[in-house]
Amino acid sequence: MMEQGSLRLRHVGKQYQVKGRTLDVLHDINLDVEPGSFISLVGASGCGKSTLLRLIVGLDAAFRGRILLDGEPIQGTSLRRGIVFQDHRLLPWLTLSENIGLSLENMNWPRQRKQDAVHRHIELVGLAGFEQAYPYQLSGGMAQRAAIARGLVSEPEILLLDEPLGALDALTRIRLQDELLRIWQARRVTMILVTHDVEEAVYLSDRVLVMQPHPGRITQEIALDLPRPRDRASPRFTEIRQRILRDMGAVPALAA
Amino acid sequence: MDGSISLTVAALPADAPPSVDKAGLPISVGALLPLAILSLWELASHLRWVKPVFLPTPEKTVVAFFTMLTQQDFLLDFLASIEIVLQGFIYGAGLGILLGAAAGLSRAIQRILGPTLDGVRQIPAIAWLPLIVLWLGIGPLAKVVIITKVVFFPVFLNTLQGIRGVPKDYIDLSRVLTLRRWQFIRRIIIPAATPSILVGVRYGAGLAWAMVVVAEGLSGMQGIGYLIFRAQALLLTDQLLVCMVIIGVVGFTIDRGVLLLERHLLRWKQGFEGN
Repeated sequence: MMEQGSLRLRHVGKQYQVKGRTLDVLHDINLDVEPGSFISLVGASGCGKSTLLRLIVGLDAAFRGRILLDGEPIQGTSLRRGIVFQDHRLLPWLTLSENIGLSLENMNWPRQRKQDAVHRHIELVGLAGFEQAYPYQLSGGMAQRAAIARGLVSEPEILLLDEPLGALDALTRIRLQDELLRIWQARRVTMILVTHDVEEAVYLSDRVLVMQPHPGRITQEIALDLPRPRDRASPRFTEIRQRILRDMGAVPALAA
Repeated sequence: MDGSISLTVAALPADAPPSVDKAGLPISVGALLPLAILSLWELASHLRWVKPVFLPTPEKTVVAFFTMLTQQDFLLDFLASIEIVLQGFIYGAGLGILLGAAAGLSRAIQRILGPTLDGVRQIPAIAWLPLIVLWLGIGPLAKVVIITKVVFFPVFLNTLQGIRGVPKDYIDLSRVLTLRRWQFIRRIIIPAATPSILVGVRYGAGLAWAMVVVAEGLSGMQGIGYLIFRAQALLLTDQLLVCMVIIGVVGFTIDRGVLLLERHLLRWKQGFEGN
């Protein structure tokens, strides 16, 4: 029996038809994600990293190749695969706990268990006391914490994060990165993070995958064995960050 | 085809004035202008700027109100109008929400209903009245039908528009949360469309009250609209003024009532409150 939360992508490709022309958005993506690991996808905009996440979460079934979760092909969306979007996407007419509870609407759990789960996850993301708040009463960082709680409350095997911290200010982002790390270590759920922030990727991940556009493909894979919590200023950290930026084409080779 | 029903009635401001004025003025400043007008009325009537037959004094008008209340059946007329408006409003708003939701959720239904309703909408309620009176008589039923029509359209159009305006991102969210169609409608579509629906309801409520006055004035022997036109014909200007004031007060009350409902239903929403 395989451990829960292992994801495998085999020759995954995705094309769009634009004005009669075929556009290769993703080309021959192969990927193995071990259960409980933290993977980041980085790359310039347009490299298909968000598209890839949409395929994995099951919002787009028109692709080639195979996506397997615990050895089985994924079919549509499922509460076994959670996602956090860049915009928190909380429903403004629901309170914080109602928003999180909406994830459990179709879970076959008794009421009490649902209530407990919602309560526990609000505590997990540090929002205890805000259960009855409406989204407009929350700051951007708090709303994103709530979105993370909503993504985790159904106890998915894998949590997909689509630039979840991209819209936050620098200070809040750094705080939430530590939160994310703590949550990941507490829950040991497989996480796949899409980000354009290389430092964020290096700070959080076991492995960073660099993607390049035209067609969207994985061009580099960097395994990170730095002990956590990582020191963003350490020479090793900086070196890895610079290397990834170079792979992405962001830093000219001369500067290295 | 998408634009077959495109006219928007949402031009009314959906935002509410703040209950506590942030400019530091008490709410009672809103009474200043009416008091000024009342004073002007006092002056104009007492100093005979206008002939009493055209402008009775406020005191005489108040007396007329009590006379109508105690010696004529003003209350019955008043209640008759209220009942017609209530019925027409409930039917019109109910039908508008129901069909608006159906057309909003299903393109097929929109295609079937759209052209017909757009056509019917172009014929004003007043133009419908003669035919409907021929069929249904001068009793309350014809007026209920007219008011149903008048309320239906703004509610229908705003419901349709509200549903079509639900952000696409919410559809993705609903799929990620594995909501079933009915859950999606109940938890996402309906609340997201509520602000727009309420704009239609509020606008429709105002139209309904205005329309009952017109409809009663044009046909029938009962109701506040009948009274006001009769007062004009008999030169009972004091009674005419009583009717006008009552109509205004009721209209104002209806609008504020819907506004309160709106505030309650949209308490999750925080909009610009003016400054």
